[in-house]
Amino acid sequence: MAVSSSAPLVLEGENLTMRLGGLVAMAEVAFTLKRGEILGIIGPNGAGKSTLLNIITGIYIPSSGEVRLEGQRLNGVPAHKIVARGIARTFQSSRLFADLSVLDNVVIGRHTHTKAGVFDAIFRRRRAKAELEAAAAHAEDLLKSVSRGLHAQRHRPAGELAQADRRRLEIARALATDPKVLLLDEPSSGMDDSDTDALMDDIRAVCAQRPDLALMIIEHDMRLVASLPHRVMVLDYGQKLADGPYEEIRKIPRVQEAYLGRKATQHAGA
Amino acid sequence: MAHPSTQPSGNALSAAFIVIAVPLIGAAFLRQFLLAEDWRLVLGLLALFAVVLVVLERLPALETRIETAFARQSRLALLVGIVVVLGFPFALGGNTYALHLCVISMLYAVLALALNFQLGSANIPNFATGASYGIGAYASALLALNFGVSFWLALPAAAVVATIFGFLLGIPSMRTRDSYLALVTIAFGVVVHQLLNNLDFTGGPNGLVGIPVPELFGHAFSDPLVVFGHALPPQANFYYLSALLVFISIVFAERLHDSRVGLAWNALRADELAARCQGINVTWYKVLAFAVDAFLAGFAGTIYAFYVGFISPDNFTFLVSVTIMTMVIAGGMDNILGVIVGAFLLTLLPEKLRAFSDYRILFFGVTVILFLMIRPQGLFPQRLRRYGD
Repeated sequence: MAVSSSAPLVLEGENLTMRLGGLVAMAEVAFTLKRGEILGIIGPNGAGKSTLLNIITGIYIPSSGEVRLEGQRLNGVPAHKIVARGIARTFQSSRLFADLSVLDNVVIGRHTHTKAGVFDAIFRRRRAKAELEAAAAHAEDLLKSVSRGLHAQRHRPAGELAQADRRRLEIARALATDPKVLLLDEPSSGMDDSDTDALMDDIRAVCAQRPDLALMIIEHDMRLVASLPHRVMVLDYGQKLADGPYEEIRKIPRVQEAYLGRKATQHAGA
Repeated sequence: MAHPSTQPSGNALSAAFIVIAVPLIGAAFLRQFLLAEDWRLVLGLLALFAVVLVVLERLPALETRIETAFARQSRLALLVGIVVVLGFPFALGGNTYALHLCVISMLYAVLALALNFQLGSANIPNFATGASYGIGAYASALLALNFGVSFWLALPAAAVVATIFGFLLGIPSMRTRDSYLALVTIAFGVVVHQLLNNLDFTGGPNGLVGIPVPELFGHAFSDPLVVFGHALPPQANFYYLSALLVFISIVFAERLHDSRVGLAWNALRADELAARCQGINVTWYKVLAFAVDAFLAGFAGTIYAFYVGFISPDNFTFLVSVTIMTMVIAGGMDNILGVIVGAFLLTLLPEKLRAFSDYRILFFGVTVILFLMIRPQGLFPQRLRRYGD
């Protein structure tokens, strides 16, 4: 399923540079993401993939350059407000609210779409409760649509879930914020092949239900990178090496060397 | 199985029985504990409590059963609770010391519930609850002594003053985390104690004396309380006042816990970065937790000041904050019942172990450790939320 070339840009980055102390974690990286597009990001460890995600989500403020969501500058906007504007993410090492129920994790994802404060909670209880129950109903539907198995476990503490379900829950929690852009940081890490296949199916289903949702996926698993994204961006030493369809970027020798390692290059040559 | 139609009503009946029996047994136990003079009886009652905890730990089904009974019959539970609390002073047979211990326990229960918003819900180690308690007490006492403000006006005014100080403490605390945050709150507690000790208008180390007795509709709280011809000691006035405050605190705690705010606090307790990435303004929710804590602590401080009639800086030391923290941890983080039981246990234990004179603090510590060995998550640990029940 290709993205039409006329689809509008949702997210773009320009000249993004990130200096952490004396280290340049990211140098002049530019990227674009269209509505409904899936962009894969690959690169060896330390290439700046997670740095890029942290810049987009407002956890880091870039030293120079800017990020724009639908034309609006995001630099300096605090992380929690960026979520409200429509960018959600998952983490490389899944960061669930482990001692809360699976359902509560997703309900917390509705935070930006609910309003009740301390006064509402205490003095206008009916209203606050109705709002929360609506959020819980929404969360139940979302869980059901992401994974039936996860929905069946909704009253268990999130910390008790298996690895694959933890990833799914993180995705469901991120989707609960109704994002325009979803950033997935190594969703398949720590999974075997069959889990990864199931996860890919779930991600495809999520995208099929939300044709406007744009995705950025950081991945190491080449099977996933080969089949899921429309386009792949390669980062190395904080710089952009290449950007294009998987079939094209995999032929570039520097990509093979940078990402797959020298051995693979030699194998390819042999 | 032969009469499936009788099953639900049978369940409702047994649920009602549980809801009536458990509070009555609890109250009877508390009465015996309060009135016990002999140290052997005190130890026996503590052993009984330990046995109950062991049974609950071994039979989680029993605990769940009791819990569902209370959830289903919540109206009846509330009614039984009110009757038990209202009737309790009559069961003490005019023992003023036991009533006094009840008042102090309830004030500590309010303080523990206040701290629970931070420590239990949001995992903010605040060692300054004792300071907020003191600010509330001093603010109301100063208003009453200098401006003749009545107790009923001083009560909300002191809570507002304590809340403002809570905000002030919250702001510098936001730049720190974990141990460093704890250090900032400890420093705040020390600063407050030193100021109370050295300022002129707070009376220095001598504190404030002659705080007037509250009155309500012409009834002075220093007079015996006569109900249906039955006279209760003057402490009963404050007993009912603090019981009302505990009730209000429980309502606050329950409503906040089951709300979006409680969820946000729980989120930042579990993982601050993940909470931020769900759109939660972590800084705001932390400051809010400080303010709510200080608000309730201020109320408790006012009642304490007017109850005792004399306050000095030594009533509000760092040790008070540590005690409140122990109540929350030993009772059960983020569990309202647990925190209240913890407050009662830790207030009453040192009093009831007086027979051991010099060793009583040792016995106190040993008892707390033993209970925590039986229930490592606290007496009544945190529960998962349910929706639509």
